[in-house]
Amino acid sequence: MQSANMLLRKIIRSSVLSLAAQHGMKKDLFPLSRTLSLSLCLKQDKSCEPSEKLDLDEWKKVMKSGLQEEVSETVSEPKELSSLAAARETLEMWRLAGRAVPENISEEQLKAFMECPSKSAKKKYLRYLHLRELHKKNDKRKMNEKRERRLEAQDQASKTDETKKSPFVCLWSSTMDKAYNWRAAQSMIFGQPLVFDMSYEKEMSVREVTNTVRQIVMSESCNRRSVDPFHIHFCNFKDDSLYHREFIKHYKEAWGKLLITVTDQCYTEIFPKDKLIYLTADSPKVMKTFDHDKIYIVGSMVDKSIKTGVSLAQAKRLGLETAALPLEKYLLWSTGAKNLTLDQMMHILLTLKDTADWKKALEFVPKRKYCGFVNKPVKELKKTLDLINTLKLGKGREEVEKQFAKNYPKKYKLK
Amino acid sequence: VQPPEKPLQAEEWNKLREDFQLPEIFEEVMLNSMIRCNSPIDVAKSLLTHVAKRNGDIAYNVLVKYLTLCVQQGQVSEILDVYDIMKVRFKILESGAYNLLVRGLSNSDQWRMALTILDEVKKIMIPSRTCYESCIKAASRHQEMKLACELYNEMLAKDVVPTLDVLQSFFDFSRGMKGAELQKELFGILLYLRENQIYPHKTFMRSIKLWFESLPGGNWRGHLTNIKDSGQCPVCNHQLEDSKLTEEEYSNLSERIIRDVIHGTDTFRKTSPKEFEAFQTFVENRLPFDIVIDGLNVAHIKSRRMQCENLFDAVNCLAKENARLLVLGRKHMLTNSANWKREIMKEMQNKADFFFAENISEDDAFLLYATLRSGKHCRFVTRDFLRDHKACLSDSLTRHLFRKWQRGHQIVLKKKSFPSVFSQQPAFRYDCVVQTTGDTWHIPYKDVFEEKYSYQVPRKWLCIQQKL
Repeated sequence: MQSANMLLRKIIRSSVLSLAAQHGMKKDLFPLSRTLSLSLCLKQDKSCEPSEKLDLDEWKKVMKSGLQEEVSETVSEPKELSSLAAARETLEMWRLAGRAVPENISEEQLKAFMECPSKSAKKKYLRYLHLRELHKKNDKRKMNEKRERRLEAQDQASKTDETKKSPFVCLWSSTMDKAYNWRAAQSMIFGQPLVFDMSYEKEMSVREVTNTVRQIVMSESCNRRSVDPFHIHFCNFKDDSLYHREFIKHYKEAWGKLLITVTDQCYTEIFPKDKLIYLTADSPKVMKTFDHDKIYIVGSMVDKSIKTGVSLAQAKRLGLETAALPLEKYLLWSTGAKNLTLDQMMHILLTLKDTADWKKALEFVPKRKYCGFVNKPVKELKKTLDLINTLKLGKGREEVEKQFAKNYPKKYKLK
Repeated sequence: VQPPEKPLQAEEWNKLREDFQLPEIFEEVMLNSMIRCNSPIDVAKSLLTHVAKRNGDIAYNVLVKYLTLCVQQGQVSEILDVYDIMKVRFKILESGAYNLLVRGLSNSDQWRMALTILDEVKKIMIPSRTCYESCIKAASRHQEMKLACELYNEMLAKDVVPTLDVLQSFFDFSRGMKGAELQKELFGILLYLRENQIYPHKTFMRSIKLWFESLPGGNWRGHLTNIKDSGQCPVCNHQLEDSKLTEEEYSNLSERIIRDVIHGTDTFRKTSPKEFEAFQTFVENRLPFDIVIDGLNVAHIKSRRMQCENLFDAVNCLAKENARLLVLGRKHMLTNSANWKREIMKEMQNKADFFFAENISEDDAFLLYATLRSGKHCRFVTRDFLRDHKACLSDSLTRHLFRKWQRGHQIVLKKKSFPSVFSQQPAFRYDCVVQTTGDTWHIPYKDVFEEKYSYQVPRKWLCIQQKL
């Protein structure tokens, strides 16, 4: 009985829809057209018949016939595949099924893919390759467009043919380089040391090491461009380590000419222990001011899996003083981990060194991580927060309270 | 997109396609909506015919979508046709298509075909668990229990985790069947539940009960019951297994906790070697304790009161029965402050042993160590679930062991009644797993709609006994 009802309902619905479509009407006619549509449906059933002459299985014939030649080939060829070829084949099928898979994959990447320990690891790796491929393609396209535009511009310029007069020879970038290098060289003699601790290689995956090196390269370049650069030390740096290979990949022959100190010694062997301060987000101590006589250490580590306390452990082991940036004191933190990237650290430290202005320095913390600056002492903030809470009335309040209590333990409690 | 009600001619499809915003993916979108609306298969066929005529070929993903529709409607002959076409066209298929083929065919008379496809999949990859699931269900539906058991064991050997559904189907379909071999397999499944600490849900439990009662000549009777706190089954008066760990399990667990949780990759991350050594000598000199208290956790139990008062109440309460107490804390508790009054701390130190760790050390690791070193009778007090420490253990077996030990030894203070009537959630005396003595089985189960957190254990049991 029920199924009969269902069937009836289905029929009604379908016919009404087609009716509505014919007359461009909306579905709200439904209750009115009930009896009408039933009879209409019977009619339609007959009207279906003419289309029956349409050969519904024709696609199968097409699919089979078009492949006759290929069939003979595949039959003759032995079916055994090597594991690499099989993997390549599987990838191809995934691509056809519309999954996020790169179009081209090198032998090396294929091996890395096969070594992934789990299904999800494989998926992630392929997705990463796929996205990288897309980015590369996009970049190439943009470059080509740019080149075309430049050529066009040149064409036009040659038509007008204007001669420019300028008192300087146009050599901007190389002159700037020289100036920067001069400053960096000075910093090697007189500058305040800044240590990158390169002892975390075994804590990281290959991709994390790659990311670390990229961040350090960015830090180095922004240091070189600053007014008063640090004297950068890479300590605990092992020759022929993964770090080393990645650096050479980035810098190529410039690696030997960098104006920084690279050593396999530990910072404790180079500098007096009481001058060293290890910067780590896990530190219980909060940095108040930037001290120009101290030597700050930054751990060269990208930590994608959650490994809290690794750099704090290192500092503890060596008995060094530690410090964390006063993020909570100056920023109303919202989301994200408190560990920052190395280049952000570099920007912050450089700004502190030049200006001693925390607000200016902490501008380099990514905007998504905080709601705004704490411009008043926490006590005064209470009023505003209370106002927000009363406005929000109840529901979100607990959430705000929790968030706040987490960020500002003990100091202040909402009523 | 609303799929049409009846097959369309090529021109009509063309028109629809041109009206669509993105003509390249028109077929995909259309087939997706057909799957959603469960449209008649003829409509889809007419679309495929249109595509084949226009392009001379049909893309793989479109074929898979069509296959999905066929499987959804149980169109066996169509599934076979699509399979033939795919086999000729592509060297191998990917897991999505294989899953569909196996699922579609296993529900039909052609279910043996599904098995051959499964064999084919095995050549290329490890079949997914849905593949195995469909095949096992099909085999047991056709009373081929031996085959089903073979597939099941193969699945376990490949580390593919079976769903509860598959396990249940074994009990459903072998009801009333005779055979010592089969009975052994099914007992094996119950032991699998035991080893992996899986609790069946209500309908699964019912299947188990019915299977037992249907065993010819077995005289098994099942009853639903709640186990008393003492661990005695009210139906058969049988005492359930103790929650205590065996000597071997116990020493194994303490070894692993010291190695993985306290030291880990780097002792400095949670403590320091010097501090840990100091703690070790401290504990060894005063062993054994009866109760180890996580001082800071207990101190925060009531936020309105002074933290040391909270701790004071707890210590007073637990000290009554002449128990030897150890309170773990951090050094900052010793500095006289608003929350930590020196006099109260002094008074407490007369009643219990105290160990103060560095402010940046993790006291939980010490808690575990002191409790384990004191022996099996020792319990610990904290509201913490200790999940992060459990996560440090490297294999699931030890993690289960940890859970079991935690259930038996952790005392959780209840906030409400504290401090007037100091009630504590009883540590479980009995072990909450599937268990047997040969002529009885006790199986904990959960209600289907009951929300169960991983730290909770079901309170409802199925008691099965054999009347000889």
